[in-house]
Amino acid sequence: MDVLDFLVHGFAVALQPQHLLLAMAGCIIGTLIGALPGLGPVNGVALLIPLAFNFGLEPTAALILLVSVYYGCMYGGRISSIVLNIPGDEPAMMTTLDGYPMAQAGRGGEALGLSAVASFVGAIIATIGLTLFAPLLVKVAIRFGPAEYFALFVLAFATIGGVTSGSFTKSFIAAALGLLLGTVGIDPATSVARYTFGWYELYDGIDYIVALVGLFAVSECLLFLERDPDQATASLKVGSAVPGMRRAIACAPTIGRGSIIGFISGVLPGAGASLGSFLAYVLEKRWWGTRGRFGTGDPRGVAAPEAGNNAAAGGALIPMLSLGIPGSGTTAILLALLLSMNITPGPLLFEQQPDMVWGLVAALFIGNLMLLVLNIPLVGLFAKMLQAPAWFLMPMVTLVAFVGIFSLNNSAFDLYMMLAFGVLGYLLRKLDIPTVPVVLGLLLGGQMEFNLRRAMSISGGDWSILWSSGITIGIYAFAVSLLLAGLAYAMVIKKRLE
Amino acid sequence: MSDETSVEPAARGDRIAGAVLVVLALGAWWHAQSFVAGFMQPVGPGVFPQLVSVPLGLLALYLMIRPGINHRWPSGASLCRQLGVLLVLGTYAAFIEPWGFVPTTLVTAVLLLRLFGANWRQALPYGVLLGVSLYLLFEFALGIPLPDMPGLGV
Repeated sequence: MDVLDFLVHGFAVALQPQHLLLAMAGCIIGTLIGALPGLGPVNGVALLIPLAFNFGLEPTAALILLVSVYYGCMYGGRISSIVLNIPGDEPAMMTTLDGYPMAQAGRGGEALGLSAVASFVGAIIATIGLTLFAPLLVKVAIRFGPAEYFALFVLAFATIGGVTSGSFTKSFIAAALGLLLGTVGIDPATSVARYTFGWYELYDGIDYIVALVGLFAVSECLLFLERDPDQATASLKVGSAVPGMRRAIACAPTIGRGSIIGFISGVLPGAGASLGSFLAYVLEKRWWGTRGRFGTGDPRGVAAPEAGNNAAAGGALIPMLSLGIPGSGTTAILLALLLSMNITPGPLLFEQQPDMVWGLVAALFIGNLMLLVLNIPLVGLFAKMLQAPAWFLMPMVTLVAFVGIFSLNNSAFDLYMMLAFGVLGYLLRKLDIPTVPVVLGLLLGGQMEFNLRRAMSISGGDWSILWSSGITIGIYAFAVSLLLAGLAYAMVIKKRLE
Repeated sequence: MSDETSVEPAARGDRIAGAVLVVLALGAWWHAQSFVAGFMQPVGPGVFPQLVSVPLGLLALYLMIRPGINHRWPSGASLCRQLGVLLVLGTYAAFIEPWGFVPTTLVTAVLLLRLFGANWRQALPYGVLLGVSLYLLFEFALGIPLPDMPGLGV
């Protein structure tokens, strides 16, 4: 069967009423979460995982729900950027630069309509890219042995600096900390208890879901308590989104360029959506030079980053699904969901669970269409919901997460663990140490160690097996070049900040 | 990141964190030596943790020498509210099983709303609303058995 047959089959899965309903719910919830300042896609998806478990959804359905939330967040992030000048999430940061000035000039509706179309095109291009490239990557990856996989994990961690725009030292510290936390529990190969200190609750290791809801959601709630209670909730007149759609046709080349740049940065391990929107904006600004009015309400300054970040969101699914190595924080959480359901993404997933993979891809196409339809007429409603009082919203979100985690195992220990991770996440964020690498380390540590040990037992203890094949050398070379590129990118950012 | 309210050079926070992490790395490395290697296994259970704790220790040492930037640490009032939230949630975790879901959740919801800035007249009705909707959502819509109140069937 070729890709088209698979895709047709996927649509049959995704068009089942239950899946359609979940995709719809996911899109709405995602747009809301993305729009709320502070609650980004990572937090949003993390919060919903316990709920997805509680609904007793089977893996395909749960994945469709969460991926719709993920895409929805990417659409929603722009709303508060444009209306309130507060990015709803990190990737939407660049959208504030031209989106807010447009809203101030009374063209908020146009900016929202234009960015909805740009988001749609970006996401569709990325989903087409996913459809075409993921199977190719799978064909290569199916030949990988343990040494190649180990090299891939090294690649993922070497490029982790790109996930966050912070310091390299701190990103790597976070990754090492995550890897170390990942070794807690009974070692599956030898049944030796590692770092459990006699606590039988730790024998199964640290529960990913508990850890990441703590790291993201609880820490977010703690951070929220020190923000100013009433940050700009002034209601700007939004206006109709229809002129934005006409504007989108004029901006088509911008949207196209932004999508492609975003897609590429999404596929690269460790790069993610923030890099996608940043590069798309900067390059577009460079392209027009003095002919553009970037920074003062140029519509192209809204179209480029929105196309970029949505394309990156789709691109980031490629390494997650085909290699089991997430390219961003949110895909890391999707990976956590799959692992908790005893599904290991990777080349075998495409062979053993084609229903799930292609159903998911089809759901992405459908979800995008729903998001576009939702976002054009309902954008005023979403903008209005931003004004719901935070004193109700935050406790609600916290309690849903809390009860959700509790009901997974009916265990108070999980709750204490979640609070501990919440405090850890809070401290890390205050120290400007990114939390995403901690989660990646925690998630990938087990597989990384497993592959290392398998490679070593094949070679009988000879470490040179790790760099003996052409593929491994290629991956290490790629890792080094991405590392250098990341360093250069960090320096550009630093200069820009000064 | 969304919490970039203020970024200031704060060497002390990074130095303390670096020191803690160095101690953690040393402890992890030392403790990993006690993990007994399996039979016929070139790489035992202690190797990978040791492999990870070396870069962790070195990077943490570097962080102590060349600290970076920190976000502004909370002042008195926010810190009190944060500790309050942690205390409320910790107590909730401790009492949810012995006391049952409904009473603990109602109290927690009201207190949380209060800590997040609602006044009593807002916190009481909305807290009760939140607690009851959570109960309905999890117990009936999701069908998850939640801890009952002692002596009562709810």
